[in-house]
Amino acid sequence: MVSTPQLEPSKHQLAEFIHRLEAGEALLRDSPEHVLEVVGILKSYGVVLDAYSNNLIYIADHQFLVLFPLFKYFNGEINPGKILKFLWHDRINYEYAEYCMKSMFWHGGGGLDTYLDSPEFLEAIKPVIKARFKLNPLMLGLDRVFPDFLPEQIRQSAYYSGLGQFWRVMSDIFIDLSDRYDAGEIKTIPEVVDHILQGLVADASRPITYTVNIGGQDYDIIPKSANLTFLMDTAVPYVEAVFFRGTPFLGTVSYNAQAYQIPMFQGDFAYGALYADPLPIGCSGIPPTLLMQDMRHYLPDYLTEVYRQSLRKEEDLRIQICETFQKSMFCVTTAALQGLAPHPLTTDDLEEQKANRSYLEGWMNRFTKSRILQANAE
Amino acid sequence: MLSVLVWFPLFGVLLLALLPKSIDANKYARSVALVVAGLVFAWTVYIAVLFNPKQVTMQFGEFVPWIKAIGLNYHLAVDGLSLPLLGLNSLLTFIAIWSTDPEVERPRFYYALMLLLNSSVAGAFLAQDVLLFFLFYELEIIPLYFLIAIWGGARRSYAATKFLLYTAFSGIVLLATFLGIVWLSGASSFAYEPLRAIIVGASDTPSGLTLKLQLILMVGILLGFGIKIPFFPLHTWLPDAHVEASTPVSVLLAGVLLKLGTYGLLRYGVGLLPDAWVYLGPWLAVWAAVSALYGTSCAISQQDMKKVVAYASIAHMAFILLAAAASTELSMIAAVCQMVSHGLISALLFLLVGVVYKKTGSRDMFFLRGLLNPERGLPLVGSMMILGVMASAGIPGMVGFISEFLTFRGSYPIFPVQTLFCMLATGLTAVYFLLMINRVFFGRLPDELEPIPPVKWSDRLPAAILVVLIFLLGIQPNYIVRWSETQIAALIPYNPRPPQIMITNIPDQSMATVSSPIVAASPQIEITN
Repeated sequence: MVSTPQLEPSKHQLAEFIHRLEAGEALLRDSPEHVLEVVGILKSYGVVLDAYSNNLIYIADHQFLVLFPLFKYFNGEINPGKILKFLWHDRINYEYAEYCMKSMFWHGGGGLDTYLDSPEFLEAIKPVIKARFKLNPLMLGLDRVFPDFLPEQIRQSAYYSGLGQFWRVMSDIFIDLSDRYDAGEIKTIPEVVDHILQGLVADASRPITYTVNIGGQDYDIIPKSANLTFLMDTAVPYVEAVFFRGTPFLGTVSYNAQAYQIPMFQGDFAYGALYADPLPIGCSGIPPTLLMQDMRHYLPDYLTEVYRQSLRKEEDLRIQICETFQKSMFCVTTAALQGLAPHPLTTDDLEEQKANRSYLEGWMNRFTKSRILQANAE
Repeated sequence: MLSVLVWFPLFGVLLLALLPKSIDANKYARSVALVVAGLVFAWTVYIAVLFNPKQVTMQFGEFVPWIKAIGLNYHLAVDGLSLPLLGLNSLLTFIAIWSTDPEVERPRFYYALMLLLNSSVAGAFLAQDVLLFFLFYELEIIPLYFLIAIWGGARRSYAATKFLLYTAFSGIVLLATFLGIVWLSGASSFAYEPLRAIIVGASDTPSGLTLKLQLILMVGILLGFGIKIPFFPLHTWLPDAHVEASTPVSVLLAGVLLKLGTYGLLRYGVGLLPDAWVYLGPWLAVWAAVSALYGTSCAISQQDMKKVVAYASIAHMAFILLAAAASTELSMIAAVCQMVSHGLISALLFLLVGVVYKKTGSRDMFFLRGLLNPERGLPLVGSMMILGVMASAGIPGMVGFISEFLTFRGSYPIFPVQTLFCMLATGLTAVYFLLMINRVFFGRLPDELEPIPPVKWSDRLPAAILVVLIFLLGIQPNYIVRWSETQIAALIPYNPRPPQIMITNIPDQSMATVSSPIVAASPQIEITN
């Protein structure tokens, strides 16, 4: 009998998860409860992302270089009723979308970041600034004195647009997932992951462009020729910036950088969605509270019912949502890991397996301090 | 009229005893007790409405001869000193019953004891006969003993016995002292007013109690009431009793029962033995300062939240002694204010510690952490605790500030050094309470503490009512001061220390003015000799 050479079990601290991924499973343990929770939360996330995405694109397109964007969250619909509702905070917290955008902008990465720092970009925006402030000599003068200010604002607008376009796709993927679940087509966590992966792959090469209209004329801020695509230039930087790196929440981490209480290098930051502690949700200075607050309005009934069974019932709803949300993000991350792997993770080829193993172990090093164990807890 | 306050709770006790066994005693006993306590509180409010704060003498007197042979009469009346304490008694009894666990064991007995406690304390505050006071004072020990001994914590029998021994000794000493006062003054009965008239009115004549006799009797008063209040070093029963008592009993113990001691000190110490009181004044103030600083330093070193509040209670009760020792009109009003303020604040703190204990199963400051977590902790309870702590530390806007400010402002001109030490103690309140708040409520909620059951509004409301009152009386102190400011003057020893500045009332102003160098020349200040 000829024995086929087999890969040794990994000795990594998180070997369990490596083996799981190699077996075609997900970072999140498969169970009917997890499927229900993840699909339910991604449904409400999809609804919220739709609103975030619309607003981000609205801000990018219609609040472009507006010096005092007082009504940027109104999507152009300004009336006393809406203002009152806004002040009463009975609204979607678009601030969270901006928080993610800024996180992405700050951490950079991917083709979008590279393009926005290129001479082509600076060339491309010169006529835009001129057109935008042609009746405002003060701003043009200030632009001369501080030539980096307006380009930086435009870079930020580009990120508004980029994240808006990314979330547009994600929102549709999540809503579709929910519809398929309702239709009985999704029953396991690997199926959830596969759905997300297929969605990402389908739109992988979708171009990311950004055009503003000033005085009736269109200006390309990110032209098609920049060759920016959905997967590598927005999705991957987003996962890196928001899922992994993130930023420490105010009041939860000491900022005494001299005592090395935060990492020396931005790349070592580990405060993202996969690492964040859900417990402080609801405290001041904890931005994801806004997302949880928004999602609670769109929870499917079956998920609300799960939360009602808990000890504190709906009193700690936002923390419960956050815990579930973290679980779902491990599914999205699994899809990303599968998509970016050098070879299909379930390959039988030993060489490919080896390459995958080193790829996965590299990633798992970053998961050691994540909430992966808590997300998988019974 | 006043008898209702004594007899109606007893009627409630009877009602509870007669509840047929066939019905759900748990449910009905609680409702009966709540209704009775609620009606008693309403009646107290009614009395307060009818009460005339401008009248100097006792009001609503009720007199029934009882045992003529020993000169004992059933004589009740109310004045500006006892009315606020009656209010405190009926309010806190209601709150204590309300905050009792609805599933309490042996509910009929429990609620009956609560009502009996209320009745006896009201009787003690109302008694116009020293022997009658003593009877009520002793009667109150019985329900409290059972309440600690039956519904207390693990070491309840030790704590209850210790409490019983101390307070029974206090009772014996007081009885001896009262008998001494009556016999040595040559009074024909135990009636308070005639007794006071004999001693105070005749002290310039040889027939009054001499200073030496007064001093001997004062030892009994100080010992008896000093145990009850309690002052260092007579206090050791209190932390044990608090730690072992259930939350509602702690609320009553700190909020009302300790006030029996300070009330007695004012009524019988200042009222009946004025010469000795004035003579000993500086040393009493020293005692207050020592007791305050002792309570404070003990509170700083505690690990059990309830013990912190208990020692804080000892420290804050000492301010009443300081104010009483100073015996100015302002400081006497301050003493009443401090009683009410301490009653409300310590009741609030004990209630909240009780909620923390009920929900987390611990009062250990080194275990509890992060309870202010908005979703899984006890955010509202924690916030109210912070308010209670601020009130206790004398932050303006709350009743603690009013009473402490009045105390220190009223006492400083008389005993500057002792007052400064007491002020140091109040400053240190921030230290032990902030340590507690910081450890218990801030930081990250530990994982082992996460399964905290939901907090119901019935857990929060009793404390919320006290918070509202603490703010209300802090913003409008006149609501406490108005009862006492006219009448309390009658208690001030007739023969104050050598030249000093007395405080007098400005008719149109609700608060008594204080002597101060700036207004020293104004006509309202009279120099007496």
